[in-house]
Amino acid sequence: MADQLYLENIGEFVTDQNKIVTYKWLSYTLGVHVNQAKQMLYDYVERKRKENSGAQLHVTYLVSGSLIQNGHSCHKVAVVREDKLEAVKSKLAVTASIHVYSIQKAMLKDSGPLFNTDYDILKSNLQNCSKFSAIQCAAAVPRAPAESSSSSKKFEQSHLHMSSETQANNELTTNGHGPPASKQVSQQPKGIMGMFASKAAAKTQETNKETKTEAKEVTNASAAGNKAPGKGNMMSNFFGKAAMNKFKVNLDSEQAVKEEKIVEQPTVSVTEPKLATPAGLKKSSKKAEPVKVLQKEKKRGKRVALSDDETKETENMRKKRRRIKLPESDSSEDEVFPDSPGAYEAESPSPPPPPSPPLEPVPKTEPEPPSVKSSSGENKRKRKRVLKSKTYLDGEGCIVTEKVYESESCTDSEEELNMKTSSVHRPPAMTVKKEPREERKGPKKGTAALGKANRQVSITGFFQRK
Amino acid sequence: MTTLTRQDLNFGQGREAGPAGPGAGASGPAGFLERATGLCPPAVVADVLCEFLEVAVHLILYVREVYPVGIFQKRKKYNVPVQMSCHPELNQYIQDTLHCVKPLLEKNDVEKVVVVILDKEHRPVEKFVFEITQPPLLSISSDSLLSHVEQLLRAFILKISVCDAVLDHNPPGCTFTVLVHTREAATRNMEKIQVIK
Repeated sequence: MADQLYLENIGEFVTDQNKIVTYKWLSYTLGVHVNQAKQMLYDYVERKRKENSGAQLHVTYLVSGSLIQNGHSCHKVAVVREDKLEAVKSKLAVTASIHVYSIQKAMLKDSGPLFNTDYDILKSNLQNCSKFSAIQCAAAVPRAPAESSSSSKKFEQSHLHMSSETQANNELTTNGHGPPASKQVSQQPKGIMGMFASKAAAKTQETNKETKTEAKEVTNASAAGNKAPGKGNMMSNFFGKAAMNKFKVNLDSEQAVKEEKIVEQPTVSVTEPKLATPAGLKKSSKKAEPVKVLQKEKKRGKRVALSDDETKETENMRKKRRRIKLPESDSSEDEVFPDSPGAYEAESPSPPPPPSPPLEPVPKTEPEPPSVKSSSGENKRKRKRVLKSKTYLDGEGCIVTEKVYESESCTDSEEELNMKTSSVHRPPAMTVKKEPREERKGPKKGTAALGKANRQVSITGFFQRK
Repeated sequence: MTTLTRQDLNFGQGREAGPAGPGAGASGPAGFLERATGLCPPAVVADVLCEFLEVAVHLILYVREVYPVGIFQKRKKYNVPVQMSCHPELNQYIQDTLHCVKPLLEKNDVEKVVVVILDKEHRPVEKFVFEITQPPLLSISSDSLLSHVEQLLRAFILKISVCDAVLDHNPPGCTFTVLVHTREAATRNMEKIQVIK
């Protein structure tokens, strides 16, 4: 009967209360010697396993024995999960003892809860903690308080001396808690922690330029897609050399696997793209994301990358350059259309100071007429005008183009008249910055003007519309 | 009095596991904080609770595998090892959330703090409910008060560590959120403050 009682107790603790029952805890709770507690736990496990009742039990064992490591033998004591028991046993040259350490319903991910379980009960039994213990020493008697303070210094010195001598032998014994989580986790943190370290360093730099993060995604996509070192050199041309050199040191220390995760981070700062670009060169398993990004933003990416390279001082130059490019590309008509919206999008992240509203109706460049909204018939008419306005663009700017656009239905002679009159009215000081803005407004104005143009019949009606 | 209850929600099957068993086990080592007689001013109470909630949230994320184990590091709290995340953004998020809860705790406006685990479709699959109530006055000396509180919070940590015995595995790609349920008066007070502002 007494035998059955402890089994019921253990069953209640484990199954009903969902506790972790360690042998030490059980010995204090039931007031039995630790060896008896270990035997109780073993019996319980055996019976439960035989009964094959539904409740799943997880058992941890304490294994101790001698291990030959680096040529010399050392004594190893480890707490291992059941699934790792055989592996650890096979490593030991001589297995001194194996016994059940704890039983619990939950599968523990690390050894913390085991310590937690014993902590409180040990603390409450501090005065007689060796009452049920198998570790006994007759010479171990509590010291008198007066002697303890004077000898504490001596103890520290001797402890240091001891630790240096026995370090090699005790390495394994001090790390009593064995495999369950330590080995797997130790490698990972190096990579992941290293990633955090480099991220922390990079985050102090600019974080507010979204265009550059998009550029990073594109460069990552293109780099990952091509997987060629040559591509990396091309990418480095887009970014400053200084930034590249800065992060090469960080990169070398990181593992390739962990660098994939750098690619994923969307809120990364400007300099991080450079970090991630060489990472993308190495094999990245996250190809799905870069490919998606590649498809969406490839067209934008190049333009954005181009814009990112130049400083704000050269922004005007860039816009001028872009303007010149677009008219030239318009000559190829169909090919212009996908590019022009892309141009607008690329410039929208870094917009020039917006012009005042009255200036909105002003100029549109060639890209406006070939807007997607208008019908094909009107497109043909617009294209013609686009070609004509080219000559006026270089000289005076957008003013001319707008008039041309409105008088879509007019003949060529009327256009010339309109152009001359418009040039008088418009203020000559049209800055370059405003043009891209007008380009953006262009498509909207284009459709509105088109509507008007269709209705207009006479020349006088056109003149009144100023 | 803070009690820990667990609810396992499975919307697909409409099955709900009541907190009876685990709840009973957890209310045993229920935490308590004495507010009267200036032994523990509300600010200290709120601090202790916020610290505990931070540790609890990190531990829940570790045990329920919401984030990969690699980001967690063993730290010491209440003299026992606990797993805390090292991810800076995650830590900042949790700290910011609890920073907002703290003034409510000081005013005893918080009814419960709930950590909800959501699946990919943002449906809750698990809830960890921390109920916070005004404790009855207890005659206990201040010396042993804090150590007693520490012991009870250790018990909380232990209970969270073994919670996966009664919970099913979560689907992959889970996220989490922290909900704070305030008492009715708190909403009115907050509205008042907003109107004044």
